[in-house]
Amino acid sequence: MSTPSSRLLKLGSGRPSIEVLEAGDGEPLLFLHGAGGIAAWEGVLPLLSEKFHVHAPLLPGFGKSDGLDYLEDQFDLFFHGFDVIEALGLERPYVVGESFGGWMAAEMAALRPKEIGRLALAAPVGLWRDEAPVVDMFGMTITELVPFLFRDQSCLAAQRLLAVTQLFGDRDDRSDEQVEILLGMSRGFRTAAKFLFPIPERGLERRLSRITAPTLIVWGEQDRFISQSYAEIFRSNIKGAEVVKIPDSGHLIGLESPEPYASALIGFAA
Amino acid sequence: MKIGWFHLMPYRWLPDDFQEKYHGVWVDLPNALYDPERGHHLYNEYLDMLEYADQMGFDSVGVNEHHQNGYGMMPSPNLMAAALARRTSKAMILVLGNSIALYNPPTRVAEEFAMLDVISGGRLIAGFPVGTPMDVNYCYGQNPVTLRDKYHEAHDLIIKAWREREPFAFNGKYTKLRYVNIWPQPIQKPHPPIWIPGLSSVETWDFCAEHEYNYSYLSFTGYKRAKKMIDGYWERRAHHGLDQNPYSVAFFQQVCISDTDAECEREWWPHVDYFFNRCLHLYPGMTAPPGYLTEKSIRAAVVAQAGNQSGNLGTGKTWKELIDERYIIAGSPSTVRQQLEELAESLHCAHLQVAVQIGSSPLELTNRSTYLLATEVLPHLRPIFNEYEDRWWPKSLSETERAKPGSQNDAVRERVERPMEVTA
Repeated sequence: MSTPSSRLLKLGSGRPSIEVLEAGDGEPLLFLHGAGGIAAWEGVLPLLSEKFHVHAPLLPGFGKSDGLDYLEDQFDLFFHGFDVIEALGLERPYVVGESFGGWMAAEMAALRPKEIGRLALAAPVGLWRDEAPVVDMFGMTITELVPFLFRDQSCLAAQRLLAVTQLFGDRDDRSDEQVEILLGMSRGFRTAAKFLFPIPERGLERRLSRITAPTLIVWGEQDRFISQSYAEIFRSNIKGAEVVKIPDSGHLIGLESPEPYASALIGFAA
Repeated sequence: MKIGWFHLMPYRWLPDDFQEKYHGVWVDLPNALYDPERGHHLYNEYLDMLEYADQMGFDSVGVNEHHQNGYGMMPSPNLMAAALARRTSKAMILVLGNSIALYNPPTRVAEEFAMLDVISGGRLIAGFPVGTPMDVNYCYGQNPVTLRDKYHEAHDLIIKAWREREPFAFNGKYTKLRYVNIWPQPIQKPHPPIWIPGLSSVETWDFCAEHEYNYSYLSFTGYKRAKKMIDGYWERRAHHGLDQNPYSVAFFQQVCISDTDAECEREWWPHVDYFFNRCLHLYPGMTAPPGYLTEKSIRAAVVAQAGNQSGNLGTGKTWKELIDERYIIAGSPSTVRQQLEELAESLHCAHLQVAVQIGSSPLELTNRSTYLLATEVLPHLRPIFNEYEDRWWPKSLSETERAKPGSQNDAVRERVERPMEVTA
């Protein structure tokens, strides 16, 4: 497994400072993480870095990144994405976004179509149908959320998430390190909630047709968090978009089915 | 001391298998469980209890705001306060309060509170809660991350709307109003006393201290477990160079009182059990949305030994445990008196808000408690803290200056209802 480098990118005085994880050589690929952040360089990330120079910036609130207050609404968030692209010196990069990051990637591609070279959206949020409500990740316990995220709860990432729940509740014997784990986690969720609470939809659907980048939609066939029916709405609104379904995968495709997912992402750029 | 009588207005007919059948009492509890005809009688019964508390000489009658739940049926406490303004005459009216970040524009709160203050002759205490996550985030859809910022902006707007005598423009982040000029204005100048209910947010201490507002600690876990939070408030007041005036704190305590300790358990346990095990049956997935608490407050809650804002709200505890740990104060008048004195002294708190109606308790039992408290306990509590000035109390019109509801009709009735003078 490759080890990424980590560096801090300062976007300017009073503006966010961003931790960027990087690995690999080759064409640039900008990876926008989901609401859980990047817990480890695992799953699809090392596979992608065998082929691409992967840049994975962490949103404010995740890892060492800060400055959430500067991003007051979703458009601040999208422009923040372009600020990061510019600070990294990327030209029309291949942008891969997962879930929360998929929504952000789609919005960016709709906002400034010429600045996104290629787009892959893995089970993105951002749309809404009453008959297929996206699971309310902010209205349940982590223990209850995990089955919605993974097809197989025995996988390492699912077990790691469940282990954290041991730190919750009415107890006063937490170590300093455990306290920091809890606070770190709450910081990341805070960022997700700022843009996704209470319903993760902010008008993307009417902007989707503005996207001109070649677009791949990826969905896990066992996704219980967001219905696969949304893949078709993305496909039919984005000119030329293709859909790839990953068998035996839940919502967090990158953790559960990294190989077929990485092949699809790499094949799409070939 | 001043002692207020506070009502939560729980729904009385949550089923016996409630805990097993439903994950919580709030937010998504199907309203099919609510029977409006029973509700009609219950609202009127509850208002009767509050009116009786006024008649028995409690210093205030209190109501609060909650949404979509079986625990407290007052989505609009102002409607209850309006009813009380006409049907009570002595007690101050505590609305604790309006969750000001929910109102669009927040001047609605300035208007309604001003109306209540004018109708009641200046008897209003205005509460400004942030609101529970269940109410403000899950029921009313406010973003938990920006909630407090929006709350502070709403606060600034309301206060300015009460103080200014000329129209002004307000260009906020959440509210933009070209013309703010509210009619009517409150009787109390510059505005009614403001009480801030707090529970787990340490920033509230500073907010209260900075504005000289009353910090109202509304827990169900009793005074022993509240001590650390209240002590934190006293430290912050000292830090801001303020006095330790016990009237700057209000404390909420559930109290059951009967002729004897033994009788109290027999009479009250079913209703106390109903409260802790049905009304407080909270679904943990909807009590802590990300961003609702600041990192400072989360840290205060999770670091070792700091926690008394416990997840344990008293569910599954026995009568004896609830009493020993002082979740409730219960027993004969002398037991209750001794423990309330202990409460006042240990918290250094001069505003006691008692909840006498608890869970499913009916009117007769509740009023008996109200009566025993008023006659056997209150006279002993009132002199405590006499040496302090209460700067957090309404400056109402005197009783002789206040309108007497119905009196104007009475004065003219005979003349109005005279026979017609028919000319041929």
